[in-house]
Amino acid sequence: MAKAELKTNKKTEIEDSSSLKGTLASVFFLGIFLVVTWVSVYFLFLDRF
Amino acid sequence: MSSQTTKLKVDPRDGKLAMAHFYVAFIALALGGLMGLLQTLVRSGKFELPWGIDYYQVLTVHGVLMGLVLTTFFIMGFQYAAISRTAGTHSPAARRIGWIGFWVMTIGTIMAATMVLLKEASVLYTFYAPLKAHWIFYLGMTFVVVGSWLDGAAQIMTYARWRKENPGKPSPLLSFMAIINTVMWIVATLGVASTVLFQLLPWSLGLVDTVDVLVSRTLFWYFGHPLVYFWLLPAYMCWYAIIPKIIGGKIFSDSLARLSFILFLLFSIPVGFHHQLTEPGIDPAWKFLQVVLTFMVIIPSLMTAFSLFATFERYGRSKGATGLFGWFKVLPWKDARFTVPFIGMASFIPAGAGGIINASNQMNQVVHNTIWVTGHFHLTAATSVVLTFFGITFWLVPHLTGRKLTKAMNKLAIIQGWVWFIGMAFMSGAMHFQGLLGGPRRSAFSTYGDSAQAAEWIPYQIAQAVGGSILFLGIILMLIIFVNLAFFAPKGEEEFPVGEAENLEEKAPMIFENWKLWLGITALLILFAYTIPFIDIIQNAPPGSPGFKTWGSW
Ligand code: HEM
Ligand SMILES: [Cu+2]
Repeated sequence: MAKAELKTNKKTEIEDSSSLKGTLASVFFLGIFLVVTWVSVYFLFLDRF
Repeated sequence: MSSQTTKLKVDPRDGKLAMAHFYVAFIALALGGLMGLLQTLVRSGKFELPWGIDYYQVLTVHGVLMGLVLTTFFIMGFQYAAISRTAGTHSPAARRIGWIGFWVMTIGTIMAATMVLLKEASVLYTFYAPLKAHWIFYLGMTFVVVGSWLDGAAQIMTYARWRKENPGKPSPLLSFMAIINTVMWIVATLGVASTVLFQLLPWSLGLVDTVDVLVSRTLFWYFGHPLVYFWLLPAYMCWYAIIPKIIGGKIFSDSLARLSFILFLLFSIPVGFHHQLTEPGIDPAWKFLQVVLTFMVIIPSLMTAFSLFATFERYGRSKGATGLFGWFKVLPWKDARFTVPFIGMASFIPAGAGGIINASNQMNQVVHNTIWVTGHFHLTAATSVVLTFFGITFWLVPHLTGRKLTKAMNKLAIIQGWVWFIGMAFMSGAMHFQGLLGGPRRSAFSTYGDSAQAAEWIPYQIAQAVGGSILFLGIILMLIIFVNLAFFAPKGEEEFPVGEAENLEEKAPMIFENWKLWLGITALLILFAYTIPFIDIIQNAPPGSPGFKTWGSW
């Protein structure tokens, strides 16, 4: 019973083993990190010069 | 048939030459590491150098041994072995040239080191004019460069033989990458060789009285930026082509790896002005152009990041990992050959971010000549590159000496990696922050006349000494591991891992091996970026400078 319920609740999404969504997320994080560090030093520059 | 020259094991005769390089490299690490520790202790303000040793002498030893000797020797040994493994055993002629190269480099190193120890050459590893060293120091540096050309020639000969025996086929990936790096090195060192031969040597010999400082700095930085890529590309060789095999995965794309190496060749050289952004005498328009070319290097860097993430994710999912980041957990964290270079890769994220800041004209004014810069290249060179070199050492040295990396040594190696990471987080982190507060690099301890600003820096300098001490412990661990693998580890076979591409049908386009094309574009870009500003620098030169010796004698 419980088992059947679980099954219907959860969409049986078969993860494609060739999926690269983790890679996509990782490069997005990398990009965001680059932008954030750059912008923070840029504001330091604006503040000083 | 002909490609059967490729063996799974590096021929012992080639192994011997590679090991000779590694001995010098690790001696440099030992001595240079001690100097690094002393520097951080002096800068903390709590310690003074005994026996009249001068801070800048120590700093010269550190920069030359770590930045020039450790790197060049390790890289040449590694590439020589990688080509032997993937393109076949070197011919006796190539091996002889390699040995001559090794000895010329070693003699050059001894000449330069002797002059530094005699206090005749405290000019730091960049040996900027108008600081003037003894001519033997410059001659020694020339020997190092010429020796590295001979080492490179040996690699090119073996690559050329492979190409001849395998017409129409793309060369083995590791050999191709090593040759790209060697070619870039040869083109780049032409700059430093010219300033040394035509300016610094005649001047230090007293044949001419003055030196054109801007010309010599420009020639130096024509070399200096590709120098850092010369350090980095062997690490990329490991990340792209060796790590996938170590973790049991596949190279994401062979062609993408080759393309990124070609882009590094094209865009690493015509960009030296980004080190000279604050220098008068160079037209800002040309600085702008070279900064734009510098930013082009972000493209192959992000290609690399993408491709590595993809290799890891594909591997993880093949092991049944699910979710967005499940693959991260199943990576072989207990294998030092993976974990230590991985710490290096991860460090390249803040390192690269710092690099983009350095290269941006306005922000360069915030960080120029501050200890931020030192913090930056201790992440790039002294963490990403060096930890990857250590990761290579863990299998390559036993492979060459017919020994095995034992479980105990593997464990010690992982500890070593984390010790390095923690030490560097302290040291490099504190350097970055102190730099943003204006703390200068290349400076012994000083309160700068008790200025309030300089007082703010002292806590950061103490943090650097803490980090430096932890790092020094890391160096001792690494030396223990190296000596063990070279002399004491149990006899056995250790694999030289060479990755395979995921898609074996995908044959790299032959255009990648068209050296006329890539060297032609490289030359055009260099001529475009340098010709006019260089003529301008020479035509509008101020009077030359006499030499300066800012340090005392023994
Ligand atoms: C025990 C580990 C290390 C420590 C404690 C250390 C410490 C330092 C410090 C404090 C400085 C800057 C001093 C100043 O600007 O006044 C410095 C400079 C430098 N370090 Fe290191 N370092 C270490 C490892 C390395 C490694 C592994 C490399 C290279 C692969 C390296 C390359 C350099 C270079 C090229 C410089 C610049 C020298 C100059 O400005 O002339 N260091 N190091
Ligand atoms: Cu640069």
